[in-house]
Amino acid sequence: MTTPPDAIEAPGDPVLPVGVPAAQIRGRSPWYLAWLRLRRNKVSLAFGVLFLLIVVFCLAAPLWADHVAHTGPNENHITDTVMIDGQQVDVVSPDGTPIGPGLHGRYLLGADQNGRDVMVRLMYGGRTSIFIGVAAAVITTVLAILVGLLCGYYRGWIDTALSRVMDVVWAFPVLLLGIALGTALALGGLKIGALQVAGDSLWIPILIIGMVYVPYIARPIRGEILALREKEFVEAAVAQGKGPVRIMVGELLPNVVSTVIVFFTLNIANNMLLESALSFLGAGVRAPNASWGTMIADGYQTIYTAPHLTIVPGVMIVLTVLSLNVFGDGLRDALDPRAKIRLEH
Amino acid sequence: MLRFVVRRLIGMVGVLFAISVLVFLIFNVIPNSDPAARIAGKNADPELIARVSADLGLDQPLYVQYLTMMKQIFTGQLTSYASSQNVMEQIWKGLPATLSLCIGAAVLWMALAIWFGYLSAVHAGKFTDRALTVLSLVGISMPVFWLAAILLYYLSFKAELFPTSSYVALTKDPLDWAYHLILPWITLAVLYVGFYSRVLRTNMLDVMNDDHVRTARAKGISERQVRIKHVLRNSMIPIVTLFGLDFGAVVGGGAILTETVFNLNGVGLYAGQAIGTLDLPPLIGVTMFGAFFIVLFNTLVDVAYAFLDPRIRLGEAAPV
Amino acid sequence: MSKLRNALRKVTVLSCTSAVAVFGVAACGSDDGSEASGGGEINISMTSFPDYIDPQLSYTLEGWEVLYNTYTPLLTYKHAKGEEGTSVVPGLAEEMPEISGDGKTYKLKLRSDMKYSDGTPIKASDFTYAIQRLFKADSGGSVFYSGIVGAPAYAEGTADTISGIVTDDNTGDITITLDSPNGTFENVLGLPFAAPVPPSTPLSDDATNNPPPSSGPFMITSVEAPQTMTLERNPNFQSVLDAGATEVADAGVDKIVVTQNKSNSAQVTGVEQNTIDFMVDPPDADRLQEVKTRFGERFRMEESINTYYFWMNNQTAPFNDVRVRQAVNYAIDPEALNRVFGGRMHPTQQVLPPGMPGYEEYKLYPGPDMNKAKALLAEANPADRDITVWTNDEPDRKRIGEYYHDVLNQMGFNATLKVIAGDVYFTTIGNQSTPDLDTGFGNWFQDFPHPDDFFRPLLNSDAILPTNGNNFSRASYPELDAKMNELLTKQLTDGDTEAQYAALDKAYMEQAAWAPYGNEQFTTFVSDRIDFDNAYHHLLFNQDWSALALK
Repeated sequence: MTTPPDAIEAPGDPVLPVGVPAAQIRGRSPWYLAWLRLRRNKVSLAFGVLFLLIVVFCLAAPLWADHVAHTGPNENHITDTVMIDGQQVDVVSPDGTPIGPGLHGRYLLGADQNGRDVMVRLMYGGRTSIFIGVAAAVITTVLAILVGLLCGYYRGWIDTALSRVMDVVWAFPVLLLGIALGTALALGGLKIGALQVAGDSLWIPILIIGMVYVPYIARPIRGEILALREKEFVEAAVAQGKGPVRIMVGELLPNVVSTVIVFFTLNIANNMLLESALSFLGAGVRAPNASWGTMIADGYQTIYTAPHLTIVPGVMIVLTVLSLNVFGDGLRDALDPRAKIRLEH
Repeated sequence: MLRFVVRRLIGMVGVLFAISVLVFLIFNVIPNSDPAARIAGKNADPELIARVSADLGLDQPLYVQYLTMMKQIFTGQLTSYASSQNVMEQIWKGLPATLSLCIGAAVLWMALAIWFGYLSAVHAGKFTDRALTVLSLVGISMPVFWLAAILLYYLSFKAELFPTSSYVALTKDPLDWAYHLILPWITLAVLYVGFYSRVLRTNMLDVMNDDHVRTARAKGISERQVRIKHVLRNSMIPIVTLFGLDFGAVVGGGAILTETVFNLNGVGLYAGQAIGTLDLPPLIGVTMFGAFFIVLFNTLVDVAYAFLDPRIRLGEAAPV
Repeated sequence: MSKLRNALRKVTVLSCTSAVAVFGVAACGSDDGSEASGGGEINISMTSFPDYIDPQLSYTLEGWEVLYNTYTPLLTYKHAKGEEGTSVVPGLAEEMPEISGDGKTYKLKLRSDMKYSDGTPIKASDFTYAIQRLFKADSGGSVFYSGIVGAPAYAEGTADTISGIVTDDNTGDITITLDSPNGTFENVLGLPFAAPVPPSTPLSDDATNNPPPSSGPFMITSVEAPQTMTLERNPNFQSVLDAGATEVADAGVDKIVVTQNKSNSAQVTGVEQNTIDFMVDPPDADRLQEVKTRFGERFRMEESINTYYFWMNNQTAPFNDVRVRQAVNYAIDPEALNRVFGGRMHPTQQVLPPGMPGYEEYKLYPGPDMNKAKALLAEANPADRDITVWTNDEPDRKRIGEYYHDVLNQMGFNATLKVIAGDVYFTTIGNQSTPDLDTGFGNWFQDFPHPDDFFRPLLNSDAILPTNGNNFSRASYPELDAKMNELLTKQLTDGDTEAQYAALDKAYMEQAAWAPYGNEQFTTFVSDRIDFDNAYHHLLFNQDWSALALK
């Protein structure tokens, strides 16, 4: 493969080789071109790496908990003492003040009023928040693809019916729907046939968040499929006698993959924001478990004397969501430089 | 035109009906715990539970239960289990605070978004644009309640610039009313400013290269006039659409976080309290109210759009 | 009274400014009482709204704090601080009751020509109506009055009236007959439960949204539960004063606006910045030091008689095994909980608090000793280790719940924490139909200075009610019930009654019916508009709002 010299062909497009016989130029797949575009977008890449670093940081929670902090995220140490600089210091003083942040391995970010290690909670909380964000995004994307394909391919009454259902879900204020479901499911959990989920399981917020955003992604996908449906290659496939499923999965789906990837990334960001909001209100992750949202709710109680307990989890959310947003934008620019993809809010 | 409006209105009713069914399902069918446990509010002795069961017709077939619930909502009879208050009345009482918050924030965010979006588009690629883009992205990445808590802490507790306590009615003291709402307005606006300014920027950049704009320039109109009269105006249409939807969503329940942190007695806070008490009638009431608002604005926006763009109302050519 | 005290934390910012100014509040001791009361409007904040705004139903500190100065019973408690405030004095009745020789008949006479806030006359039969409401509305306070002849029959519905209460509206005579002598009956007559209300009040329903007309210095002019309520000076209270009532107190301000605010920190800042005049709940642990040091001229700590504990369901697994309950007592560290309260929760492991007659200190479960706890649990080896831990969403209650949840898990349980809103917490766990009521947060503030108040509503089998019950532990020990009933017939001043109450305390703790851990100290913190020296903390009703006045 020849390395292309730096000659700009069109804004945003990767450079093509100059002075090489046409026959020797390899065709480039759209994926490779997209990758090249993405690679040139240093800012996007940097944020993508930042997101990965945050994920690694959170995944390292058990390591930190076992080897550095020697405690779990929910363990209270109200009357314990810890050795700092050779002195035994109360984790929580007799008048209720917890230890502050400092470079002492254990309680790196200090303790909260229950004597729990904030750093450990931050990491485990991150795991929970990111897990919920990603899992919900998977659910949303799968459902949205399903709906989009069915609507776009079959059109007719299936399209009308599903579109109306999407309209209804869309019309629900996202937060209220999440709260409504979270509250309704809080007491007894979910029981559909053989499927049983406990009221305080993480899967409840995941399912709720997963469902809430489906219309936002299903609609654009449906639009694309509708447009693609008219193209000749689909006609050809039908003429070849391919069944609906093969056409949907084999012909239509690959063409919307780039849209799906972008939406998936941006959806994780939205899901994390929604999860933190639900947890803050008490309808998401439940006490005493940590998620960045519940940590902000807890920290808010002591914001006057220990603002870092509120600020730090919030900053983590901002950094994670920001990096997903910037990287998602970069992905969109790389995969579709003519900006055909628009995420409707 | 009239046919279009009528069609959309029918559609609106249809969606509201579907929403009511969805709400009914969520609150009456999904929870698998005994309704008595859900009613576990005040004074719920076995007699009351029996009475409430009879009222709700919990022994009746589902569709009868649904009709009873709709009747309660329409006749304004929906009553909270926890406090025996009329839900509709409470929502009505919470409206001034919620509307004050949402309208004020909306004015703020639109003004700022148009300004920032315009600047970004005009100085595309340069420092101003980059700086504003960064700000926008950070703005849409912040959890609203966190921003509220931070603002409250730094500007209210520490700097004592703003009050900490709740809502003051407009009718009581307009200046105080505004003073208490400044921080909530800023909080709610930050999220949307980021989003809208970016959309406007994209739209303006698209429109700037359109033929009609080039014609205007060719005619000799000043660049500034071109930007404002031709580019900006034409970029606004999608913004208006989005605004309609978002405003409906904010009133319909998006303000709950801001109201909770700032202790504003609005519809959102009312819903928030119902979560804690696991009190379902207020949640039903607020959800229907919110959905109604969103659907209403959806329809209004569609009608306005059709009014502005004849292609829409003549065929179902709505671009997705 | 119930633990709602903490609910009081949510104290609505009631503009308590109605400070007692009017009636030479007993607090300062001067009682010429005819000084024109001050005026003005104040606002008060609470973290949890009262459970009910209904004299017959409310059984929390927040509620009683409001009701003390809005509904006057036949007898009332002296408006004084400290122990003096726990003495019973005549209220709407002319004098203390004439008690028959056998201790079973109480004769009182209602003062004449008194009116409620809406102008209707206060009648003797209104007292009967109030007691009837206690039974028909399923009040948690009904346990105190079930000793009245004919009350159980009335409660069951087999009688139309309570035969043991006879009244004459013309003369104002009221005669109450009891089944057996009751050393606490005068105290019980002074509780808000026994405050007369006109028959226009619904007999079996909660009157919160439309409280009955009042007979105290304040009247409730609007209620918007759970956010706010307004009290205003009662124009007809003068009729009570004129009828000769000297032990009641007049309002010190014209209007009080009470607001709920879930953020304790915001309330503290509000009082500091003088936008809130009084906060019912003590400042949270993290602000306490700051308030103590910087605002000492309008802040003080107050004694309070209360016990904080964890209730455990004595009747269902796994807590029906005494060893399991004892294990919990070994595992809990009262000092830890003290720190959660910023040092305001004095450790204890008994039912009765210090300051209550019959209190004798002892320690049955020295600890904390997690090893012993685990050993006991292993010995008992309950099959069902999935338990639900209940608490409410007030910040310190939530932290207590999280601590307790962690302790139970370390012991070897599989605990789930459930956090409910403070204003419905006690009614939810007091409702027998709520599922999974295994263990959770509880507290109790004295209603009157008699140990029976700590035993009867909380540990007596009769207090296991379908709703509004306070015996969350479902403790049912017939021998101890019998002892309780026997002691009730004696006077506290008799021989060794107090010692026997101490023994009863120990007996319940041997059964480990509870896991108590502390006695909370309260606070008074007011804005600088308020006359701090005359404001005082009443041992039974938290802050006496009639004593709040503007400087």
